[in-house]
Amino acid sequence: MLTLGEGDSAVAILKGIDVTVPQGQTLALLGPSGSGKSSLMAVLSGLERASAGSLTVAGEDFARLDEDGLAHARRGRIGIILQAFHLLPTMTALENVATPLELAGVADAGERARAELEAVGLGHRLSHYPAQLSGGEQQRVAIARAIVSRPTLIFADEPTGNLDAGTGAGIVELLFARRAETGATLVIITHDPTLAERCERVVTLADGRIASDRAA
Amino acid sequence: MNDTLPWSFAWRIAKRDLSARFRGLRLLLACLFLGVGAIAAIGTLTGSIERELGTRGREILGGDIEAEVWQRPFTREEIKAFAALGRLSFGMRMQAMASAGANSAPVELKAVDAAWPMVGALILADGRIARAPPQGSTFLAPGAAERLGVRTGDSILIGGQKLVVAGIIGEEPDRLAEGFSFGAAAIVPADLPARAGLTAPGAMYRSKLRVAMPNIRDPEAVVETLNQRFPDAGFRLRTRDRAAPGAERFVSRMGEFLVLVGLAALVIAGIGIGGGVASYLEARRTSIATLKVLGASSGDIARIYFLQIGMAALAGSMAGLIAGVLVTPLLGQALGSLLPVTPGFVFDPGALLRAMAYGLLVALVFATPPLARARDFPAMALMRARVAPLAANVRAVLLPVGLGLTAIVTLALASAAQLPVTALFLAGAAAMLAFLAGLGKLIRSLAAKAPRPRRPLLRAALANLHRPGAQTGALVTALGFGLSAFVLLAVVQTSLEANIARRVPARAPDYFVLDVPRDRLEDFRAVVQRAAPGAEIRAVPALRGMILAYGPATGMTRVADLKDVPEGAWALRGERGLTYSDEVPEGNSLTEGKWWPRGYSGPPLVSIEDGLAKALDLHIGDRLTISLLGVERTVTIASFRRIDWESMGFNYALVFSPNAIADAPHNLAVTIDLPSGRKASALLPSLVRALPSSSVIETGTLLREARALLSQMSIAILSAASVAVLAGLAVLFGAIAAARASRTYDNVILRVLGASRRQLLLLQLGEYGLLSLVLALVALALGGAMGWAVIVQLFEFDWLPDWPRVLAVLATGVALVLGFALAGSLPLLRAKPAQALREL
Repeated sequence: MLTLGEGDSAVAILKGIDVTVPQGQTLALLGPSGSGKSSLMAVLSGLERASAGSLTVAGEDFARLDEDGLAHARRGRIGIILQAFHLLPTMTALENVATPLELAGVADAGERARAELEAVGLGHRLSHYPAQLSGGEQQRVAIARAIVSRPTLIFADEPTGNLDAGTGAGIVELLFARRAETGATLVIITHDPTLAERCERVVTLADGRIASDRAA
Repeated sequence: MNDTLPWSFAWRIAKRDLSARFRGLRLLLACLFLGVGAIAAIGTLTGSIERELGTRGREILGGDIEAEVWQRPFTREEIKAFAALGRLSFGMRMQAMASAGANSAPVELKAVDAAWPMVGALILADGRIARAPPQGSTFLAPGAAERLGVRTGDSILIGGQKLVVAGIIGEEPDRLAEGFSFGAAAIVPADLPARAGLTAPGAMYRSKLRVAMPNIRDPEAVVETLNQRFPDAGFRLRTRDRAAPGAERFVSRMGEFLVLVGLAALVIAGIGIGGGVASYLEARRTSIATLKVLGASSGDIARIYFLQIGMAALAGSMAGLIAGVLVTPLLGQALGSLLPVTPGFVFDPGALLRAMAYGLLVALVFATPPLARARDFPAMALMRARVAPLAANVRAVLLPVGLGLTAIVTLALASAAQLPVTALFLAGAAAMLAFLAGLGKLIRSLAAKAPRPRRPLLRAALANLHRPGAQTGALVTALGFGLSAFVLLAVVQTSLEANIARRVPARAPDYFVLDVPRDRLEDFRAVVQRAAPGAEIRAVPALRGMILAYGPATGMTRVADLKDVPEGAWALRGERGLTYSDEVPEGNSLTEGKWWPRGYSGPPLVSIEDGLAKALDLHIGDRLTISLLGVERTVTIASFRRIDWESMGFNYALVFSPNAIADAPHNLAVTIDLPSGRKASALLPSLVRALPSSSVIETGTLLREARALLSQMSIAILSAASVAVLAGLAVLFGAIAAARASRTYDNVILRVLGASRRQLLLLQLGEYGLLSLVLALVALALGGAMGWAVIVQLFEFDWLPDWPRVLAVLATGVALVLGFALAGSLPLLRAKPAQALREL
């Protein structure tokens, strides 16, 4: 359960959600705007704590962790791709991808970041800043950044929302390809039914509750 | 969980995120640059002067110990005691008149024996190094030679004795220890005063004796012994360690004041630092949240941004240090003759370290709260719309801020020459900060509670003062400090100007004449009337003596037994001027007791200045024992008087009944007032001819020098205060810029909704106008109070601000604020709404 605000202004965002995602599964969270998709992803990825209930990720009880505990838990275990890319504007593509590895204290962060950028086809853009990259390129950097630490769990919040159809399709291909190579669990938030159908399982939300949960 | 990012990794990320030119941290850089630069310059300047005075003490004094007595030679027993200590050099100082043909000039006669100078060397203007002048010759200071129109080889007359000018003085080794003089120096052989009849009984001269000790001994201990052995001799003893106490006191006081102004600049800069860091981190909000999404903990964020801000603080402080060192020679030049020595390019590591420490500590104190807030930015900030900044984690803030504040206070108090002044300043600064912070909160809450105006723009203006993320607090502090600094500056400047104007007394006589023999007063009057018809002449008997004891007849206090001289009892120190009179002196008024009748012949009486009486806790009927030319005399206190010190005539703290002291040998001191606007060029030469042993002091020259000194002091004060104002302006601009960023959005939306540019300008004008109006009033009170403390408490001047000018300066400050605020929003107003929307 997730409630935001206090007292009279409290709004219940998520209610009675009960979902289990096996390791390696691809899952789409489908639903109209305001249905609670992004909030559910925030809770599942440890960006936000649930007001009540329990959440276990790879054997760890996230409900007991504070903000810093969640940050530590995310390191190397969870990769997040956001609709607005959110690359660090003052860092180059290479530095952006290396950052999560550095935060986890990985020694060869630079080389691994370079390899990952080459894997997403941006080997020639290593020293470019986000402002010098196209939207599609920025999202590819974001994917590389989410995958570089080989997380067991990847969340993608509307990964093609800010891109045109052609570029978006390319990004989706890349995302699924990289996931297949790493064997990670993938949770995609989308309101695009075509994209949802590419996943093994589709959970539809409405008004903060699970309306349906089916195999694609 | 305790695996915070190692410093090396944090540094790698910090470095990346910090653009090469410290974009966004420029306010922090500017504020630290100004504050640290000011303190470094001030510290370097005063430190170098004090060190110079300290290391050159022996040369400045011309020996290890100097003894001085008034109106008598040293006794055989005294000379014996000094001779046992080391090599001796004797001399004499007095005012005298010199003439050459038709030209005359007052000179400060410096009679020296063959042993002079025992330390250092006399360098003549033509580069020759000289010792004491040979018999029948003199060395003249350039000023005296110029007035007399003579050159090396010409002859002059002093006290009727002919002297050949053997050279013009270039550098006099012991000039600084001679203190303030009433005329340019003439160095003459030791026997000249006696031959010229300038040492007749009662003449105003000082005998000097200097000792150069062969062994390194503690001169202070020797002085102590001498004082005990000759308690009533009236010695004024000085040692090489405090060769020029007046200059030292002045430099240390001035230095302390300037350091306080520098600290004030740093406090103001601190607000800028706080504001600058807050807006920098606010702009980094997305980056911080992104780093958190990628797994950075609060501790990691704190480390990364601590390193960034620390780097910027270090860079700003270093730049300030460099500027401080570079500007010191300029400062030395601007202060000119105000300083006892002119420092060139100096590098004082101690002063620089102190300035750096102040800068970094202030940065720590003011940057910690925003840093603590940024530490707690939630990762969710990326996914949800803007939220108000979280309250800073009090525990995280308390330790560094507390430590920083303690260190600043300790550093300031440890290096304070006047502890109460520094403590008062620190308390005042803290109170002002607290007051402005409180005022900011009050304005915010009043704006929130005020009824909502119907007109949308007025409503928006009011809302801007209290909405989440509003800069009201920072603006109030910055505007409050900035405008207060304007008021302070105006109040100090106009008060100083008025003091300079007023301290040149309207009633000042044109000449003081010393050593006019009593039986020649009528001749003197005749000479003056011939040379300057209508001149007003006032003559008083002039004697010198020392207070030995005071208090009730049954239990008098001996001055020699006092450990410390009571505050305000300056008259107990050494010899003082004494006079006697049948009438209450002009410009004096009795506050207690009765004046003695004309021709009084009862027990000897004295009238005492009321301030001195209060300091010594004297009562009518108490006794006073003085030493007059070596003879003790005890008198009864008959009255207390208030003296109008502003009138620059003869003002004596002790006035006796004629029968108390008139029998001692003495001369008269005379003032001459010329009819207004008249000049009497014939007066000086006629006086020299008629009364060769008398000496004349020209008030005009004296006043010109005093005026020059005062205006140099005001330059020092103003240049230091300008740094504070500059810092205030930087803070102000920073706060307005930060506020502008947060309201760009509103302006664009209002433009989209159809608001005209004029309306938006009015909106800004309304908001800043409202704030400025309130703060102008606050600044008037705060700046006025600070100015009063500086003028009245610190410098002991009169409180004479020119209010219309102060208000005009304040109005200029407010106009500047409004101008800047409006100018800042112009680019936004010029943009087309569609274009601006894309840039949001």
